Amino acid sequence: MANKNVSVWTSIPFWRRSAAWVTGFATILLIWLTFDTLGQISMGTDADLKNGVTKRVPGPTVINYKIGYEMSAKRGHEVPTIGEKQPFFGKEWSEQEAADLLHLGKLTSQAKNCMDCHTLLGNGAYYAPDLTKAWIDPAWQKGGPMQGMTGKNTVEEAMAEFLQHPSQYPTHARMMPNLGITAKEAKGLVAFLKHMSSIDTNGFPRNFSKTVDQFKTGGTNAH
Amino acid sequence: MFGLIEPFTDVNHSFFGMLNQGPLTLTIFLHTVIILPMFWIYFSEKKRLNK
Amino acid sequence: MLTSIKTNEFRGDKSKELGMMYFRVAIILFGAQLLMGLIAAIQFIVPGFLFEVFDFSVARMVHINALVVWMLYAMIGSVYFMLPDETGVETVGIGLGKLAFWVLTAAVTVVVLVFIFVQVGSGTETSIWLINEGREYLEAPRWADIGIVVVVLIFYWNTFATYMKGQRTGIMTVMVANLMALAGLYLAGMFFTDNISMDQFWWWWVIHLWVEATWEVFVGTLAAYALIKIIGAKREIVEMWLWIEVLMLFGSGILGLGHHYFWIGTPEYWWEIGALFSSLEPVPLIAMFVHVLYDWGKEQGIAKAEGHKGAVANNTPALSWIVTNAFGNFLGAGIWGFFHTLPQVNIYTHGTQFTAAHGHLSFFGAYATILIGMFYMGIQYAYGIERLKSTFKSKMAIFLLTFGVLGMGVALTIAGYEQVLVERAELGAGWNAFFVAQDLPWYVQAQLWRTIMGVVTFVGFIYLVWDLLTIGKQAKAAQEA
Repeated sequence: MANKNVSVWTSIPFWRRSAAWVTGFATILLIWLTFDTLGQISMGTDADLKNGVTKRVPGPTVINYKIGYEMSAKRGHEVPTIGEKQPFFGKEWSEQEAADLLHLGKLTSQAKNCMDCHTLLGNGAYYAPDLTKAWIDPAWQKGGPMQGMTGKNTVEEAMAEFLQHPSQYPTHARMMPNLGITAKEAKGLVAFLKHMSSIDTNGFPRNFSKTVDQFKTGGTNAH
Repeated sequence: MFGLIEPFTDVNHSFFGMLNQGPLTLTIFLHTVIILPMFWIYFSEKKRLNK
Repeated sequence: MLTSIKTNEFRGDKSKELGMMYFRVAIILFGAQLLMGLIAAIQFIVPGFLFEVFDFSVARMVHINALVVWMLYAMIGSVYFMLPDETGVETVGIGLGKLAFWVLTAAVTVVVLVFIFVQVGSGTETSIWLINEGREYLEAPRWADIGIVVVVLIFYWNTFATYMKGQRTGIMTVMVANLMALAGLYLAGMFFTDNISMDQFWWWWVIHLWVEATWEVFVGTLAAYALIKIIGAKREIVEMWLWIEVLMLFGSGILGLGHHYFWIGTPEYWWEIGALFSSLEPVPLIAMFVHVLYDWGKEQGIAKAEGHKGAVANNTPALSWIVTNAFGNFLGAGIWGFFHTLPQVNIYTHGTQFTAAHGHLSFFGAYATILIGMFYMGIQYAYGIERLKSTFKSKMAIFLLTFGVLGMGVALTIAGYEQVLVERAELGAGWNAFFVAQDLPWYVQAQLWRTIMGVVTFVGFIYLVWDLLTIGKQAKAAQEA
């Protein structure tokens, strides 16, 4: 005796089974996607860098290279570029040394709670500048106000100096507090920042970084 | 075709990356594989209710 | 603080009494959250305020951790509160549950004191273990993480064993399954890695799959229970809606995780997955809103047809908060979330005050509201009130809290918009671009309004506490008269 008028749409078992299916299958898809992504974001090695293998997250020895951020016609957005060798704190770091330094830097970034003022890869708090590409920020380069203020000659030395004595170098009424960062920890943090700038963030932040002078004079970034 | 099918541009090749080349092909694929079995759930439930 | 909610007023239900213990701590932590928020808001407009004494990072850390912890307390309390009603049996391990409560409360106190007085550590593993893990929302040091896991396991065992012993309603089935996912996800946030992309990948597993999946299902479950309790909604209808909500919330929310994987080093395919799945996240929130209003209207109509006068709800302050929840969830989580969920928009809005606006509106709209509703249900039970009616203070509390948070949300949206246009679009981020945007007149003005609205919110909170302290006694006196 089939009753043609029964409605499945008001049947609790139908919705329960559907909910179980959708939840379970979406979870399986997410786990599959997670494995795929984890393979792509695992850290590269020194050999990758030497052989020119592009990794989304390069190995720690990337601190021995010049890092840029350039528009890629192929990708349609800016991508980090790894250029020629460049001394970091005046030397080339071995694979082990670089890994140890990055480890110290990442630990320090957590112990000092950077993320509750700054954003890292765009995540964190919004009280202080995003640090994703801080390493290549024009303000820190030769001739930039931040490097000039600290009286140092390289980006890494200027950043390390600032991190140890932030309230001596105010850039705004809103200052970074002194967090008791030691010279060693500051080196680690700068390595962490340099490494982060080499991560392929799919073009975030976009159009990095027009100068404020250009903005104030109404100039554009167009070439 | 109308620039909707894009060449593979991402850093690494992968199954999901390949599906990502057309107009919303990846997300349509995922939505479809999630929703299609619900038809089966619907009809099996209908059969059960009719009994 | 809330000693007037006397334990000897209880009608002997130990599980509900345990739930009330959690509610009391939740309210205190809610107050702490608002105070810390006020300090942080003032620091935006007066940068020297408590500089190098109690810096923004500290205030903000306690602000967001107090938020998460008070909500978890209120959620655990709500489960203990509903367990005997849903299962029809007494919760199995009350003594153990009480022990877990005191252990958790002691641990939270120590963590907060360390956050406030020690603040930061040196760059060593020891700091991560003892002081501060330094990952937004998951700052609790590792020892506390492990403690939380143990306490949550006790809580989960209590819930699960009671569920297995008593009747297994649809509401409890969803609750038990969802709580397992909620508790298990916390483990994804308990490891250290040098790889910041890997770090944030798993960090979002905890944060997103909590607030945009399991917590939302929790709210759906709680609303289902509350509608049956407060307005006598039909269980069949409520449970059918609950399964539809689970289907849509998990169907969109689980893969909606992709909208956090646009820019953290993860592959480009997440653009499409994150954009399209998270765009569907508002749909169940609309459904929940419609469902609550529909049931309320229907039951009110039935009551009227039967010749009853007045509200159908036996607890009008709780129902007001639940209706506010239904709308606030849709507005704060749904609309404000959708604003910036598409990658083409998000590349400019990611990490600006836009996110803060969404955060304030959604945490309040989706979670704070319904949990406050549960506090009122607790009061009603504790004093044995048949029909709890809103007082002037209840109305002031709900109006000022909602108006204040909405005002903060709008102010932060304006600030975020300024920031997006100038810092991100015009100047392309960077150190100087950031500070240029922070000095824009409309940005500064918006931050000022945010602080004013924060004060309004705090006044609303004072009314809320005052009401919770007095409404039960008054209603009981009126009932006995």
